[in-house]
Amino acid sequence: MEFTLWDILRNLLLAARWTVLLSLVAFAGGGIAGLFVLLLRISKRPWLRRAAEMYIGAFQGTPLLMQLFLVFFGLPLLGFRIEAWTAAVVSLTLFASAFLAEIWRGGVEAVPRGQWEAAASLGLHRIRQLRLVVLPQALTIARAPTVGFLVQLVKSTALTSIIGFDELLRTSNAINNATFQPFTVYGLGALIYFCLCFPLTQYARMLERSTVIPK
Amino acid sequence: MGNSLDFSWLGDAIKLIGTGAAMTILLVVVTAFLGTLLSILGALGRTSRYPMIRRIVKAYVELIRNTPFLAQLFFIFFGLPSLGIRLNPIVAAILAMTINLAAYGTEIVAAGLAAVPTGQREAAQALGLRPRLVFVKIVLPQALKIIFPALTSQIVIMMLESAVVSQISVRELTYEADLLQARTFLAFETYLVVTLVYLGLSVALRRLMFAGGSKFIFSGQP
Amino acid sequence: MTKFSTLRLTGLAVAALVCGLAFGAAARADALDDITKAGVLKVGVFGDFPPFSSVTSDMSLQGYDIDVAKIVADALKVKLQLVTVTGQNRIPYLTERRADILLSVGHSAEREKVIDFTAAYAPYYIAVIGPKALKVQDKGDLAGKSIAVNRGTLEDTSLTEAAASGADIKRFDNYNAVIQSFLAGQVQLMVVGNDVGAGVLARQVATQPEQKFQLMTSPDHIGLNKNEPRLKQALNDVIAKMLADGTMNTISTKWLNRPLDLKDLKSNGQ
Repeated sequence: MEFTLWDILRNLLLAARWTVLLSLVAFAGGGIAGLFVLLLRISKRPWLRRAAEMYIGAFQGTPLLMQLFLVFFGLPLLGFRIEAWTAAVVSLTLFASAFLAEIWRGGVEAVPRGQWEAAASLGLHRIRQLRLVVLPQALTIARAPTVGFLVQLVKSTALTSIIGFDELLRTSNAINNATFQPFTVYGLGALIYFCLCFPLTQYARMLERSTVIPK
Repeated sequence: MGNSLDFSWLGDAIKLIGTGAAMTILLVVVTAFLGTLLSILGALGRTSRYPMIRRIVKAYVELIRNTPFLAQLFFIFFGLPSLGIRLNPIVAAILAMTINLAAYGTEIVAAGLAAVPTGQREAAQALGLRPRLVFVKIVLPQALKIIFPALTSQIVIMMLESAVVSQISVRELTYEADLLQARTFLAFETYLVVTLVYLGLSVALRRLMFAGGSKFIFSGQP
Repeated sequence: MTKFSTLRLTGLAVAALVCGLAFGAAARADALDDITKAGVLKVGVFGDFPPFSSVTSDMSLQGYDIDVAKIVADALKVKLQLVTVTGQNRIPYLTERRADILLSVGHSAEREKVIDFTAAYAPYYIAVIGPKALKVQDKGDLAGKSIAVNRGTLEDTSLTEAAASGADIKRFDNYNAVIQSFLAGQVQLMVVGNDVGAGVLARQVATQPEQKFQLMTSPDHIGLNKNEPRLKQALNDVIAKMLADGTMNTISTKWLNRPLDLKDLKSNGQ
């Protein structure tokens, strides 16, 4: 079976759609879950804080590959069907939620104490203080590392090839086996990843330069 | 496949898990050492007088930081041989990990070097010390002290990333876990145990580095 | 809430639960019925396993196994859906019913505990393949050599037994990695099915790889879940028909470049 250069590139680009989709879904899901974890992490109650700390510590202190395997082989034990896409989404969403919660916590801590007090003096209770005053500022401060994490997430999708999800890297492997041209195939694959990540990295840098951290 | 978890295989598996963990530790130690050296070189290159060197270092950092580690690993292991460069799995893994670590390390060390007050350099030069000595004896240790936490974090991250080198048949912790579960069909239990081992390793590594760092690098500095 | 509506709600809930359980129970009743009802047969195949199954330039699959899968689906009067699997996930995929059947499964006592097998439908010899210049004539010559193999497969188990000590066995996750590491020269030898190796040999690689010797014969069966006698019977009927009317022979000639020899479908010592 002969692949032309265009065949290789075309198939890699088609597979890249899945990489993009997985990244976006995990980022969105992880963002929502991450907000929840963040609330726990900055809660007034020590045991909630501790639980969130342990949750974040678990995801930051273990390999993503292991997390993927645990979800992939653990889903059936919970009664779900074993499926590469589901496992990939669940695993990367949880992974993202832990990291984003920690990034955003940094943002929350950078918001001056005065903002909390001002919000409190307006008669808002804690959750509303957070939602209306502190969180918007915290997320703005943390824009750059948040985008930076999205880059990490895109790169992390490559690991889902190992549990059989047909994204860019797995397709590269399959094409490589059909063409025996590793240099070309992996080179093009890497190029596509680069084109996905580099603009985001540059955007994160731009955000970093324009972010003013209040003293 | 019952509904309860089965850990009866654990006793026999301890040896395999042990050797796997030992290989992981070896990979990390060598990579941390070589990677830090390469990072220092990279940081110097970033502030070099020659635009060409600055551009090359910048291109290297951007290339590595914007592509997945697994892809870099495959490229080195499967791709390089077609250029005549054939490396055995362990060497390929260390090379990939070192190159990857140093791409992040370069930025970290560069930030550290920039943070050392210029007064230090000037004072040392006023004392008649040659530039190279100034760098090695005065500037570098202070820079390393400043960026030590960030560098430690990056090394721990690299240790966790090392799980994927099992894909090129390096017999580290994940590889041994894969072997075990292929025999027992108890995938979840196997990976659960190994994940806990990784957690233990990452916590231990962090503690060790901080303890070692304060002893060897920060001695004599306020 | 009034007492009456709570009662009604509870009643609905119980009814729903019973229906759910009944449906769940029914779904476990018979795989053949499930397949016919769903109108689809999900077949697990490798994606990097020529000439049995590999990708074409538009990423669709072709090969010996694909042809067999199509005929089986037609015989059961359902549509075919191919599911790519790896050595690591294919047995879980089957037991969790992500795939209804698996192709290219070699028989082993360990696997027999977890899944069921049909009659053999394709020959499969496990062979040691290496460069022309390297002298490897039998198991003894394996000592001291680096050998690539797909982890968890029968090639893995037979190689591990044959090589005993002294061979540097490098296990990879999938056939692609095994073949690539051999072609890249990262290992001296590889152990794959002889027909899979044939694809590699045909590529005129500079080192002139050739088949050294055969470790064992392990014909391919279709794998299915245990306790599905009707499905097993249906599959065996299809295979028997294909063998009798020459269809299997045509497929063999097409993909393996030789007619089917029934002797090849018998395993030695199993």
